[in-house]
Amino acid sequence: MTTVPLPSSRRAAGIALNAGLVIFVVLYAAIALLQPNYLEPGLFMNFLRRAAPLLILACGQLYVILTGGFDLSMGAVATLVVLAASILINGDPDATWAVIGTLYVMGIAVGLVNGLVVAFLKVPSIITTLGTMLLVNGLALAWSGGAARGDLPDNFRNLGRLVWRGVPVIGTLPLAVVVIAGFVALAWWGLNGTVYGKRALAVGDNPRAAELAGTPVAVTRILAFVVSAVSAVTAGILLGGFSGVSVNAGEGLELQAIAACVIGGAQLLGGRGSIWSAVFGALSLFALFTLLNILGLPQALRDSIQGLILIAAVGASMWRSRKRN
Amino acid sequence: MTAALSMSGISKAFPGVRALDNVDFDCLPGEVHAICGENGAGKSTLMKILGGSYRPDAGTIQLAGTTVHFTHPRQAAEAGISIIHQELSLLPHRTVAENIFMGREIARRGLLDKAAMRRKAAQLLGRIGAEIDPQALVSSLSIAMQQLVEIAKALLLDARIIVMDEPTAALDERGSRTLLTLVQNLRREGVSIVYISHRMPEVMAIADRITILKDGKKVWTRPRDAAPVGEIVRAMVGRDLDDFYPAPPSSPPGAALLAVQDGTNAAVQDVAFTVRAGEIVGVAGLEDSGKGALAQALVGDAPFSSGTITLRGKPVTLRAPRQATAAGIGYLPGDRKREGLALHQSVRDNALLTLRSMAGLLARPQGGAFASNVIDGKLREMDVRAADFGQEIGTLSGGNQQKAIIVRWLAQASDILVFVEPTRGIDIAAKAAIYETMRSFADSGRGIVVVSSDMPELIGVADRILVMHRGRISGELPRGASEEDIMHLALGLADQPHREVHA
Amino acid sequence: MTTDAAKPGPARSGLPISILLAGLSIGFFVVVALATGEVSQLSGQGIVGLLQRMVALGLVSIGQTFVILVGSIDLSVAALISAVAVLASHIMQGDPAMILPAILICLGLCLAVGLVNGALVAYGGINPLIATLGTGLIIQGVLAASFGVLQGAVAREFQVIAYGGLLGVPYSLLLLAVLSLAAGFVLDRTLFGARIYAVGGNPDGARLAGIRTERVTLSAHVVASLFAGASGLYLAARLQSGTPWIGRDGIYDLESIAVTVIGGTILAGGKGGVAGTLAGVLLFASLDAGFNMLGVDAFLKQVLRGAIVIAAVAVHAIRTKEHVA
Repeated sequence: MTTVPLPSSRRAAGIALNAGLVIFVVLYAAIALLQPNYLEPGLFMNFLRRAAPLLILACGQLYVILTGGFDLSMGAVATLVVLAASILINGDPDATWAVIGTLYVMGIAVGLVNGLVVAFLKVPSIITTLGTMLLVNGLALAWSGGAARGDLPDNFRNLGRLVWRGVPVIGTLPLAVVVIAGFVALAWWGLNGTVYGKRALAVGDNPRAAELAGTPVAVTRILAFVVSAVSAVTAGILLGGFSGVSVNAGEGLELQAIAACVIGGAQLLGGRGSIWSAVFGALSLFALFTLLNILGLPQALRDSIQGLILIAAVGASMWRSRKRN
Repeated sequence: MTAALSMSGISKAFPGVRALDNVDFDCLPGEVHAICGENGAGKSTLMKILGGSYRPDAGTIQLAGTTVHFTHPRQAAEAGISIIHQELSLLPHRTVAENIFMGREIARRGLLDKAAMRRKAAQLLGRIGAEIDPQALVSSLSIAMQQLVEIAKALLLDARIIVMDEPTAALDERGSRTLLTLVQNLRREGVSIVYISHRMPEVMAIADRITILKDGKKVWTRPRDAAPVGEIVRAMVGRDLDDFYPAPPSSPPGAALLAVQDGTNAAVQDVAFTVRAGEIVGVAGLEDSGKGALAQALVGDAPFSSGTITLRGKPVTLRAPRQATAAGIGYLPGDRKREGLALHQSVRDNALLTLRSMAGLLARPQGGAFASNVIDGKLREMDVRAADFGQEIGTLSGGNQQKAIIVRWLAQASDILVFVEPTRGIDIAAKAAIYETMRSFADSGRGIVVVSSDMPELIGVADRILVMHRGRISGELPRGASEEDIMHLALGLADQPHREVHA
Repeated sequence: MTTDAAKPGPARSGLPISILLAGLSIGFFVVVALATGEVSQLSGQGIVGLLQRMVALGLVSIGQTFVILVGSIDLSVAALISAVAVLASHIMQGDPAMILPAILICLGLCLAVGLVNGALVAYGGINPLIATLGTGLIIQGVLAASFGVLQGAVAREFQVIAYGGLLGVPYSLLLLAVLSLAAGFVLDRTLFGARIYAVGGNPDGARLAGIRTERVTLSAHVVASLFAGASGLYLAARLQSGTPWIGRDGIYDLESIAVTVIGGTILAGGKGGVAGTLAGVLLFASLDAGFNMLGVDAFLKQVLRGAIVIAAVAVHAIRTKEHVA
């Protein structure tokens, strides 16, 4: 064994990044082959706009995955956000910003509950967040009476559907794409610009060792669930913008977010992954859905595709690590 | 006499490593044959091949003259080979009888005969002189008792060859003696025993022959009388035992750093002692003496429920590891993989873990003291050997991993380090380096508490040894104490357990 | 680990958890019945009604107990229940002659799903949460996509399972009782049972003891799938025809895990049993019946369910010193 350490190695991270990116490029190329107009900047921007909720959810989910958990409640939170927004605002544009603040407070409360239950009551996150998923869904339905109620004013809906035209170079720029950029930048900063990211990885890898090394394990976990909930609220606001109010607005999004992170190379049960796993994983998954749509496959098969992806991705990483040993 | 076991020309390669190279090994009926070697010498690989967990690339295995090929541990077991592993393979929530019969249940057409299993289990336990109720839950037994259950399991199979891989690693002195007596009895019954151990006194006490492995090759096999300890160590590492432990400090210890008064919790009672600047304080004791609990209390992992701890004269509360870390106490747990390392993170990130955990949340992860070149310098200073400090720490040897954890606490500028079993499972060269580091850490005016089951280690490295018995400190011994002195106190034989008196 | 860390003492004396839970459940039921004046609920018929609420969840939970004991988990049961219910009604199309073929085909499907789950977990080394989440999604997607061509209804004679009885005891309850006893017997008295506890309690140890651990895990997954199938057949009989959502709407995945854990089976495997699980099912049935008597609205009931699942698991989990994620 050589004893001279090399200056630095980013190879591992580089490979993960390229995997997600490569899959996305291949899928998008396939889409473009079938529908060449997807290569126009406008359609690409539109693609990004529609992928925005998933992309933002994946970024939040990644935080929880890095610490070794799952957040299955984010779809329910997104549904709650959509229903609550339309009830609370009820068509009054002046109420929009105050209500958005309220929505974030509600989301953070759910995240705190998830985190506190996992960290202190020691309930595995998959059960905790399935429980809060039921709870939040039930609350949303009880509140709205089981049907869409109220109305969303334009200034709220614009967050999801406003598109600026005549922008130099790219032509059109959806507001949702600006929201993505901002959210991804924040999520990147949280993981790479602060010590939080390294703590989360250590906690996901070996919580006991992290605890004995002085890491605030409970706080690290709770923060991850809060970030995840904040991302769910953000995604819910965008969803309300371009899909309108519905009682199943967020249904199934939590699993899509998990699948996205896995495609991008994040390791379930913690310890490995970067923000680019979430970003390119989400873009890949959304490109895949788009491709299937173009090919005319039924929407319902999306679930099956995600199931296959989850098994294949985890299976592939198992196979790789076995080969290494 | 035909050898009970004969392995010849065994070779096995893993990607990048030649684990075994043309190794011959045999064991006669009723013989205890010890295998010695540093970690990575190939002992475990050889035994895994014998146990059917690995298949050799080349070579043959013969049992009583018949060639065998194993593809699953089951086949080895059926051929009369039983392996008692370093890590216990018991079911904590099941009874002793159910454990003894795991995989070998007495059943007719798939239906269990529980009464027969209880009877047979009681017989087997009686045969090895273990007073254990077959109906007791394994989780209610001490580690030593559990080890006996493992041996009963091996006897059930009527094993002709029993491999013991570091069987005393988790045992204290008393447990080890029981085990060694048992080995003698088995030998008398004609069982062949392959005995793997790092502990020289044991090997010298029971082995008929000794084989040394180094770097996957056999160095020699000799009868015990032709193999003095000095030669064994030299063959294993290529150096003498003398320069193994660091020289004692030249100056007397300084002011008190850490003082504990009346420390009490579920596992320890009225513990009182002081650690001074420049001192290495050893803690000895039997397995259930509370010595591990004392370490856990000092680092806030299982805090004292009453009593006081003062650091440099100021009282502190240590209710969680994070508080202890903030107070300047660092911890090197006894089980590196479970409690020390984030195995899939880089060497660098592991070394920086505590610094980053104690910094403000918004601190930049690569800024200032966290910069790669700063921590790399510290890792190099500690002689942590890795091709690249960006590689996963799980790929390093145990010694290098332990050094990286030490760097973690040095970087945090801890005043006091609590070591538990600092060199368990670490090869001799790395051991010497770790002792050296402990000494120089103490010599720089800081203090160390080292909890260990390895008595020669405590005698060699500690300036004072506290001996624990049933949760209390039963005595204190100065440098130069003998193993007998320690055992005397550890067994609670001292008439007047003398408490340490410090000004 | 330090060698002399505190060890758990011998098993605490006191009532077994199953009896404790059953007492608690019955107490709650009686108190609510008396408080709401629904004294008729305490008659023989009322009790039978209460016990009948246990059947669907009880069957699937027995299977779940097997996989959890072996150290795995099955999240695909909800989708499989739906698939079986849909398939049974489609094959029967109301024709009593098709009852037997329908049952056989459904159980054949369960066998196949169990084998796939088991193979992925035991031989593929894929984390069971992911593997079974994946197969569940695949089943759910295919089912939803093909439901249009899978319409049908079960034969009237088949509905006897749900509505017929012997001396006032419904057949469904007898079925649950017989299968529970059989499962309890298998776990306690047979070689297969002993192997399940061995593999769940210490997989490495079991392997070294010569047990073919993969086969045991695989078999446990087959058992779980077959029990989910039994539950699906019962639901088909009760509802006359299956829909692709009955499993998901009944939250059988989460609830079967929750009652198993509440009943004292540990998620790590190797400890627990069917009696505790049934007591957990009884608890859920009495809560459900109690909420009905109290007139709790359906959405609020969902909220309470979510909270109860978390609380119930927390009661067991909170004492663990180990980290969970």
